[in-house]
Amino acid sequence: MNTKLLCRGALVLLAVLTALYLVAPVFFVIPTSFNDSSFLEFPPKAFSTRWYEAYFQDPAWINATLNSLQIGVWVTILSVVLGTAAALAMVRGRYPVKALVSGLVLAPVLVPYVIIALAVYAVFLEMGLTQSVLGFVLVHTALAVPFVVINVSAALVSFDERLEMAAMSLGANRVTTFLKVTLPCIAPSVAAGALFAFITSFDEVVTSVFLAGPDLSTLPVQMWSGVRVQIDPTVAAVSTMLLLVTLALFASAGLVRLFRARRLAEAA
Amino acid sequence: MKRVLTAGVALSAVLGLAACGAAGSGADQLTVVMWGGQDQKTHVKEAIQPWGDEAGVTIKQDSPSDYAKFRAQVESGKVSWDVVEVEPNFAHTACDKGWAEKIDTSIVDTTDLNPEEVTDCAIPVLEYAFTIGYNTETFKDAHPTSWAEFFDTEKFPGKRGFWKYATGAIFEAALLADGVKADELYPLDIDRAFAKLDTIKDDIVFYETGEQQQQLVASGEAPLVQAWNGRIYSAAKEGQPVANEWNEHLLSYDQLVIPKGAKNADNAQKWMKWYVEHPEAQAGYSNATAYGPITEAALEHVEPEVLAELPTSPENAPKRAAIIDYAWWADNYDEVSERLNEWAAQ
Amino acid sequence: MPQEAGDAPGAGSSPAPARRRPRILDGWGLLVLPLVAFLLVVFVAPLVSILARSFTDPTTGLDNYRDFFGSPVYLDVLGNTFRISGLVTLVTLLLGFPYAYLMTLAPPLWRNLMLVAVLIPFWTSLLVRTFAWVLMLGDTGVVNQFLMSIGLIDEPTQLIRNQTGVLVGMVQVMLPYAVLPMFATMRQIDRRLVQAAEGLGARPISAFWRVYAPLTLPGVAASCLLVFISSIGFYVTPALLGGPKDMMIGELIVQQLSAVLRWGFASALAVVLLLVTAALLLLVSRIVNIGKFMGGER
Repeated sequence: MNTKLLCRGALVLLAVLTALYLVAPVFFVIPTSFNDSSFLEFPPKAFSTRWYEAYFQDPAWINATLNSLQIGVWVTILSVVLGTAAALAMVRGRYPVKALVSGLVLAPVLVPYVIIALAVYAVFLEMGLTQSVLGFVLVHTALAVPFVVINVSAALVSFDERLEMAAMSLGANRVTTFLKVTLPCIAPSVAAGALFAFITSFDEVVTSVFLAGPDLSTLPVQMWSGVRVQIDPTVAAVSTMLLLVTLALFASAGLVRLFRARRLAEAA
Repeated sequence: MKRVLTAGVALSAVLGLAACGAAGSGADQLTVVMWGGQDQKTHVKEAIQPWGDEAGVTIKQDSPSDYAKFRAQVESGKVSWDVVEVEPNFAHTACDKGWAEKIDTSIVDTTDLNPEEVTDCAIPVLEYAFTIGYNTETFKDAHPTSWAEFFDTEKFPGKRGFWKYATGAIFEAALLADGVKADELYPLDIDRAFAKLDTIKDDIVFYETGEQQQQLVASGEAPLVQAWNGRIYSAAKEGQPVANEWNEHLLSYDQLVIPKGAKNADNAQKWMKWYVEHPEAQAGYSNATAYGPITEAALEHVEPEVLAELPTSPENAPKRAAIIDYAWWADNYDEVSERLNEWAAQ
Repeated sequence: MPQEAGDAPGAGSSPAPARRRPRILDGWGLLVLPLVAFLLVVFVAPLVSILARSFTDPTTGLDNYRDFFGSPVYLDVLGNTFRISGLVTLVTLLLGFPYAYLMTLAPPLWRNLMLVAVLIPFWTSLLVRTFAWVLMLGDTGVVNQFLMSIGLIDEPTQLIRNQTGVLVGMVQVMLPYAVLPMFATMRQIDRRLVQAAEGLGARPISAFWRVYAPLTLPGVAASCLLVFISSIGFYVTPALLGGPKDMMIGELIVQQLSAVLRWGFASALAVVLLLVTAALLLLVSRIVNIGKFMGGER
């Protein structure tokens, strides 16, 4: 039993260090966003909210944020649908040239984005798809879909198909079985895939720099535009705000769960 | 499920294409492309928007300049950029390959410009210098005042920062340090430059962006960098312990080109004419950034404290070693880049 | 989720004999078609026209490939790319596996906090994050100052512009991609199996390794695959945190494409990268069965 305790202790220590490592840049980003200097400095020297004002006063930043969100949502929907279907086929189905298809599905992550960017840009110019939401969604979905496929495949491989047979033997049809039995079981992996897909789109710089223009830009493009000369500290302010929104969402989800649990307890 | 998806895609297609169609219509406009960030904002505000207001032309902006994107637009014939800020070696290449429109000298009067900075397809947009940027706390009493001293790690110990691209004047500095006369710099003797660089190789750090450059020298991590004068100036203005040494500075510049087939090439030429003829607009940009205006006449509109930090000021101009010969670089950039990669990786 | 040890992924994806028909395309198989069609149109078609340039630009023939294989520096860059990607994968696995495992054991509140820690990097722009490391790991940065203040080192040790810097930056970016898939599969594992093994007299450690760990393999494989192939294309982090000796192929391709404008050569680099990676993945799949997991062979 002692070794077990020791193992647990080591595990907790390692996890704490890993968590610190994961969040370390945040301790830099948040203070920097409130620094009164046009350079990213650490430690910050004087308090100021000028970079937040810079964000809210510039329609370019706001539009870019809205575009990024819109594109990200579309990409998530499209890649979850395409990717989950493909994962089902890859794990359970039979079709020709399986290895080649697996390679095809992984390839978008593998080919350096700048090559994809140039290739797609040349074609999209002809088709008038540059600077359009559709153009972004198509390219980002290609980049994001492997993340969904890999996550969902892993879940399906671990999934016990006998549960489905049980459901069907009790009279459920295929669709009901999938929606009521399979999907809930693989849901965490689908969610992880969806999250990766959203982030892939939301953070994507290289292909976006090509597709963007005066009429349509995204947040990462806006962040990277001046980087050759100087990083705009507004970037730190944007990151801080994104963090706070995410944390707020998490906290509210946690509160809702707590609230529900309490109601259940009261009902009981 | 699939039907919903198809409907969704179709819907977004309609929205997307509609947005694009609106943009394509040929109202009187000019799309300007620069490196982005605060610099571009200032440039547009001081020297482009005023022309747009005057001429009734809508100014659109894109950033950053990207040569692959430039070439792809020209090759496909669908050009959405009208005037682009580029490095002169690319301007040379673009002109040679027919990717850029010729400057119409009957519209744009180039006589007041430095002839070394004008080609068939390009005029300068700003001037800057590769200076010796140093940390004023590390070097309180004496700092290197020549490239020879910059390369002297015994007299001035510490790391030296260089830009990691071949056109960052690293070879010019090495040759000057090795005793090559400034007027005999080109064609560059790359072998000799590498031999000189070998002597300080352990003390060299390469930087990628302007942010890193300023951070290296201000933190003292590399108390000496071959710097862009404007970066050091803005850092010093923010109270950071850095300064430019102007002696033996190397003059450089960025250029403006019009991509072949640009929709608003006429407007681009007209704006160029206006820009050349409006020294106060050039000076407005210089005052904010400490990058030099393209005509002498503009210098009198520059504030005195900024003038002291400009490469073309009466005080600094005589300290110049040479102007970078980008025609040479256009021909040799590939090969020298490859050798620099190789040398750095060893 | 009840699952028997005999159902371990090593045995493949629990074939259901009833569904096995001697057809080359079945109902499940059809589901791959939308994605294949999508990728062929949006990804493959444009890519082919660019990659073809490696044989035509600037001259017709294999010159670009000859240039690549003729220069040791490019082979080094390719080697760096795989070495660094491999190391990143290893380190993320070593840090991510225990972390994901602990998430399955932790009470809900702590589990959520751990989840938040994993998700936080996602919302911090890569640009700012990378520059944060530049400032923190520099000679005058907080990490060196801390190490000196506790007396571990006397003078600043070099933490950036070398492989250490690249690893610190890249592992932090990739960790979430490793933790989440592993956590998702670990959650499905029935812990009573481990208890049963212990009840039957297995020592805890051996119960863990022989019963639990094999069940996590699909998640581990998914994580490693994701991290490895994502790492290969990295460009910004190695360019800012690495030294000239750590150049990865992504950076070289960007340089050739955007600065030097040798598009044919850049395409050749991409082709070589694709082929070598494909060969490597095939080789690995023979050893650790990611082929089966990806549905490659059954």
